[in-house]
Amino acid sequence: MISLLDIAERIQTGEKVEEKQWDMELFKTISSLVKKYGIEFPGGDCFINIDNSLPERAFEAAIECLEKLGIYCITTKRRVKLGREETLRAIREAPSEILMGEGRDRRVWRQRKIEGREKLNVCPGHHTPYTEEIAPLVVKNFAQITRADFIEGFNFSKVDGREIIGPPMEVYASRRQMGWMREGIRKAGRPGMAIVYYPINTRAEDLICVMDPDYGLRRTDGILLSLLPDLKMEQDMLSAAIVYEEYGAFKISGSFAMAGGFCGGVEGAIIEGIAKPIAAMIAYRDYIHYTGVEHIHMLNAKEILLPGVNWARSVVNQALNRFTHTICMRWVIPTSGPGTELNLLEIAMQSIEAAVNGMNLYAPRHCRTAINHGQTPLEAEWMIEIADAVIEQEFNRETASVLITKIAELFENKTPQEGYSITECYDLIHHRPNPDYEKVYNNVKSQLKALGLKLF
Amino acid sequence: MDLSKLSPKHNEFLDFLKQTIIEINEEKAVEMAQRIIDEQIDPWLAIKYSIAEAAKIVGEKFDCGDYFLPHLVMAGDLIEKLVAILEKGIPSDKLEKKRVIVIGTVRGDMHSVGKNIVATMLKAGGFEVHDMGVDVPSSSFIQRAIEVKADMIALSSLLTTTMPYQREVIDELKSEGVRTQFKVMIGGGPVTREYAESIGADGYGKDAIEALEEAKRLLA
Repeated sequence: MISLLDIAERIQTGEKVEEKQWDMELFKTISSLVKKYGIEFPGGDCFINIDNSLPERAFEAAIECLEKLGIYCITTKRRVKLGREETLRAIREAPSEILMGEGRDRRVWRQRKIEGREKLNVCPGHHTPYTEEIAPLVVKNFAQITRADFIEGFNFSKVDGREIIGPPMEVYASRRQMGWMREGIRKAGRPGMAIVYYPINTRAEDLICVMDPDYGLRRTDGILLSLLPDLKMEQDMLSAAIVYEEYGAFKISGSFAMAGGFCGGVEGAIIEGIAKPIAAMIAYRDYIHYTGVEHIHMLNAKEILLPGVNWARSVVNQALNRFTHTICMRWVIPTSGPGTELNLLEIAMQSIEAAVNGMNLYAPRHCRTAINHGQTPLEAEWMIEIADAVIEQEFNRETASVLITKIAELFENKTPQEGYSITECYDLIHHRPNPDYEKVYNNVKSQLKALGLKLF
Repeated sequence: MDLSKLSPKHNEFLDFLKQTIIEINEEKAVEMAQRIIDEQIDPWLAIKYSIAEAAKIVGEKFDCGDYFLPHLVMAGDLIEKLVAILEKGIPSDKLEKKRVIVIGTVRGDMHSVGKNIVATMLKAGGFEVHDMGVDVPSSSFIQRAIEVKADMIALSSLLTTTMPYQREVIDELKSEGVRTQFKVMIGGGPVTREYAESIGADGYGKDAIEALEEAKRLLA
């Protein structure tokens, strides 16, 4: 595989390109590849792709995209060129499973298969900000979820009552994040559970300062090192990737594409959605990715659903599962906030998709998360419950599509609901939703049972 | 906008210009802008009717998912080019000074997508926009705002740990005694209107459309 030092050289010696030029080149290249490879949304209520030839064409388009464009380093404003053969070799040599955690909490994360019958790996949270007052208790609650395989950190704005501003305070806060995470998993009786550090910031010092087998990130833990949208990388992230390769920690990446952005519509997002995890694997050695396609307007909670987004997401994951070793996760990211019916319905829809498209499950949280206002453990348990039912009932892409279509009908004429903070709708002391939220949960559960999903 | 005094032919010219901008047809739009000057149609009508209406429609097309971010960028660039052509037909003493906005993502934050959308919407909306990119030190915002005689500084942040830099810009503006010279608008994923008020920002945009409306309101 291309070494990280090769990438380090290329970000210093590659062709100089202004960012705007890169953005427009990406749009033009992807637009022409969409036409060349005949990638087209079939229209209507198509939520899951069942055309087996499309992922193959989309994969070819993504490889050609990487060959034509490479990766853009926003720090040095240079293009990292990638040859077709070295990209294909990197894909072949990537692992399809990752060992993490230690002792009795050691787990293996694996690439799932399309319509696979194996249970999904789970990261229940966080990737959403919490205040320091409730942080260790929040971590404990998420770590208490038995099916959780690893748990991710979170951002916050104050530490020891002080505002986090500037690198020294960020470094201190980064280490406190790891402290709370370690404390939380111990309190939950899962001391060996793998933790993924959520970078407070993307400066090299913030990324590397948590490396500490005793009190911070262990060799069996991981770090989130994501490529930016539009196939862009950062020099400091690469520095951290080099350090963590030596240290031994695994790396995960946010590798979805954003429809409506420079990749164009959902068809273009398919190409970027396949190319991006491959690029992240080459640039930072990321092997676990939250993959797929989102839409700018959905991430902004303007629309619950937009035509073609779910379909595009399925094409991306089917292509990655068939032609690469990428370990895909579905970042379940509802447009409505916790404590609401729409939030749980959206999570159900996305968990069904994950189960049949070969994905694992990752951190369900409100797309416009605010401090203490992103998720509760109930949504994580709910996504597991749904995915397990889908596996148990042996849903395939066609039958899952029928169920998703019925759920989508429940969103008609609805707008995203803001929801509640974790302390408003969840009892962190007793690890259960408050009575009002429990009613909402039971109601949604009844609705899904009526639609044919066997839930207990 | 009263176009009733124009001949039907000249009305058609203005509509044609509007349509070519919506379609982002640079060649035809530039040709028509030049023709408007040659035919001695008041360039203000082209700016305030054709361009303003077209910018609004381009924004709506983005909002409903027909257009993508690159379309916004191309439309913004085209509008800038057309305004430069049309302004040549306006006597210098009658030129209206464009409202100037300096925009960027604050120090330590590398996220650009939301900021790019807002910047292009503002540009298409008729503002002169100076996009400083990402990871911009607070003092650089102020320095550039002073240099270009900006009316507003727009600050984006996507991380809770970079939000304090939005406040830092406001604090530095105060300490340098220039706070009243600039409106400050903030936005970004974790940013709320309450936060904007708490740090003394003048405005807040939840998304690009809201940011454009807020900028128009603040700089009216």
